[in-house]
Amino acid sequence: MINDEYFLAALRLSSGHDPIPRHVSATAREAFALRVPHALTAAPAECSAVRGVRDDDGSHLVRFVAAGLTFDLEVTEGDGLIDVAGLVSPYPGDDSLVDVRTPHMTLTRRIGPTGHFAVTGLPPGWISVVCHRPGLAPVQTTWVRIRP
Amino acid sequence: MHAAREPAELLLAAAEGDQSAWDELVSRFGPRMWAVARACGLGPADAADAVQGAWLRLLQHLHTIREPAGVGAWLMTTVRREALQLLRKDRPLLAAAEVVDEPDPAAAVLEADDRRLLWKTVSALHEPCRSLLQLVANDLGNQQVASRLGLPVGSIGPTKSRCLDKLRTLISTQETAQ
Repeated sequence: MINDEYFLAALRLSSGHDPIPRHVSATAREAFALRVPHALTAAPAECSAVRGVRDDDGSHLVRFVAAGLTFDLEVTEGDGLIDVAGLVSPYPGDDSLVDVRTPHMTLTRRIGPTGHFAVTGLPPGWISVVCHRPGLAPVQTTWVRIRP
Repeated sequence: MHAAREPAELLLAAAEGDQSAWDELVSRFGPRMWAVARACGLGPADAADAVQGAWLRLLQHLHTIREPAGVGAWLMTTVRREALQLLRKDRPLLAAAEVVDEPDPAAAVLEADDRRLLWKTVSALHEPCRSLLQLVANDLGNQQVASRLGLPVGSIGPTKSRCLDKLRTLISTQETAQ
């Protein structure tokens, strides 16, 4: 059965009344710069005790796992901006870095000896974290959407 | 003039780092993705968010799409799921991506050939379905559609559903006959 949305989309498309805005196409083209060649992708962990849990202070916890590496991210929203406090475990070693990325901004942090890192003041929207380990393939989390 | 590259070829080239192939995917499928997001009922800002999410997801699955030739259907299915998630009233602050394993076959109706067939079928519908679907395609709200067709506003939603059911039946009949 064809979903109504596809029918309506096909009709809308043919009418030409509501074309895709230029900035949406431009953002899609620019997204290619966010490709991380040879990266392993960490998916959200199937752990209901962690995934999407909301604390009393309004923060959320989410876990991603791949290739023996676990990302625990605590995401907090305040004043319309996003703070991320993260833990990479096991500790990926000296000289490891994380990139906390949005489509328009990447903040790079050195991972502390306990595996922790933090960034503040990100715009709401799509976020992904990449861990760069010397001599090993980078590991990226899937993109998650964070709304105020 | 170069022949247009097939979607599977574009996907493979993009996976190898070819920005022009990615740009071509964006040009080819972006307008359809936008139409799907808007047809789901999203406003422009949320539709942009859903479309962007689908592209970001593709970026992480360039090497793992099961059927590269079906990357278009994969994108349509992904953007529809993103859109429906955005529409959830209890939507979470943090929404993790859900990977599309099996694209919706129905997304094929967005192909140019199928769209022509669709309009041909719409034009064969009786009133008020024919006019109603044309007005809906032009992004008119229920109030305006009701005013144009001289129908009660409250009847537009149910009538639209009935018209889409008729359209679906006719399309299915045509597909079976082929």
